Amino acid sequence: MGFWEVTKQLADGFSVTLLIFGVTLLCSLPLGLVITFGSMSKWKPLKWLTKTFVWIIRGTPLMLQIILIFYGPGLLFKMNALPRMTAVLIAFIINYSCYFSEIYRGGIESISKGQYEAGQVLGMTKSQIFFRIILFQVIKRIVPPMGNEIITLVKDTSLARVIAVAELVKAAENIVSMRSIIWPLFYVGAFYLAFSAVLTLVLGQVEKKMNYFN
Amino acid sequence: MKMKKIMAAVLSGIMCMGLCSCGNAGDSGDSSSGSPTDWEYIQNKGTLVVGITYYEPMNYLDENGELTGFETEFTKAVCEKLGVTPEFQVIEWSKKEVELQSRTIDAIWNGLTVSDERREQMAFSVSYIVNKQVVIAKTENAGKYTDTASMAGTSIAFEGGSAGETAATSDETLSGCNLINCEAQKDALMEVKAGTADLGIIDYVMALASVGEGTDYSDITIIDSVELTPEEYAIGLRLSDTETVNKINGAIDELAKDGSLRALAEKYGLADVYALD
Repeated sequence: MGFWEVTKQLADGFSVTLLIFGVTLLCSLPLGLVITFGSMSKWKPLKWLTKTFVWIIRGTPLMLQIILIFYGPGLLFKMNALPRMTAVLIAFIINYSCYFSEIYRGGIESISKGQYEAGQVLGMTKSQIFFRIILFQVIKRIVPPMGNEIITLVKDTSLARVIAVAELVKAAENIVSMRSIIWPLFYVGAFYLAFSAVLTLVLGQVEKKMNYFN
Repeated sequence: MKMKKIMAAVLSGIMCMGLCSCGNAGDSGDSSSGSPTDWEYIQNKGTLVVGITYYEPMNYLDENGELTGFETEFTKAVCEKLGVTPEFQVIEWSKKEVELQSRTIDAIWNGLTVSDERREQMAFSVSYIVNKQVVIAKTENAGKYTDTASMAGTSIAFEGGSAGETAATSDETLSGCNLINCEAQKDALMEVKAGTADLGIIDYVMALASVGEGTDYSDITIIDSVELTPEEYAIGLRLSDTETVNKINGAIDELAKDGSLRALAEKYGLADVYALD
């Protein structure tokens, strides 16, 4: 099997990887903020419910969560399983929302009280203060840790193969087991490296753009 | 302030729903206790979802990317007789039992070895192939190993949970070796190739297809002088219902009698191990 043929087959796997990455990022960025509001709520039951949920999600392996979401319904309740890709996406979105929510919380809590007081002096409402004063400072501060998490997400997509979703690594494993050639398994590293290089550049640009009031 | 309270209420509502939905799902499952049998379930769907992994010559992709192989054609022939459409689903081999029980697949049909442990988990069709486990080694070292006694003190790689593991652990000499539990048969090949294991135990059909000239494993040979436990291949089905097993056995019987199954075995180089004559 030639280099280009392997590349073409791996590209198919890579498109699945990109899909998982894109959908997860798109959904968990806003969902993370919702969870942050939950865990910072002044209403105690909601706060503890959210914190317990985040603890469970962050405290168990993502691989286990994927397995549970896909096989759980059929094994426990004799229900029909979700499509494989849907199960993967749900697991990733929930997992990454929880991690993002904690980064958001750190960002929000790092803003000094003086900023809120200044808003109050100007006669702004609480939501005005949050969306007009606090949020942009938070975004600026959380770009580096978010970048970390986003690059981790690129590589975590390879976990989708536990329920036989043919992402990049699985695509390579398929070639290895069918054609009895080994190098494609290591060649996938180039795809991940190239993709994270692009992301690093993009994140660098975002940080530059955020470089106001400094 | 008000908005925040409403938001809090909505959020906790969503979370409760999330928690409760599990409970509800359980109820609906129980209420349909007059649920259809396994065979009725398959017939209602009209499809038999077959769990496979890509592995030559059983189920693999040809040059045009079309699924082909002995098991592929065998599945199609049986399904035609049963009046259902085959649907091939690639699975992770280590999760085949979970896939079967959670009904994400209806059959494991991929050179599945019959074993007593597995009999507790699934029902088997008739066995159609008698395969054996073989020991592989780097060609340059192969001469050193003539029988199992000469393999004492080596490191041996095999697929965890496979017949290869049984072969290694049930042999007096081999069980005392440094045993390396791999995730798949191909990993055992890679261990030997990389020199991280001296020997590997994989099945004969796999070895025949992956070792030798023109592959990345051309420096690996099968040690012919050592023969380990023979193993039988059969189709794995859910234990809950014998009707599915009977239907499939009936179809296999017809295919064996008219000679078309033997022809398939010959086409894919499996005539040596074909068991239904």
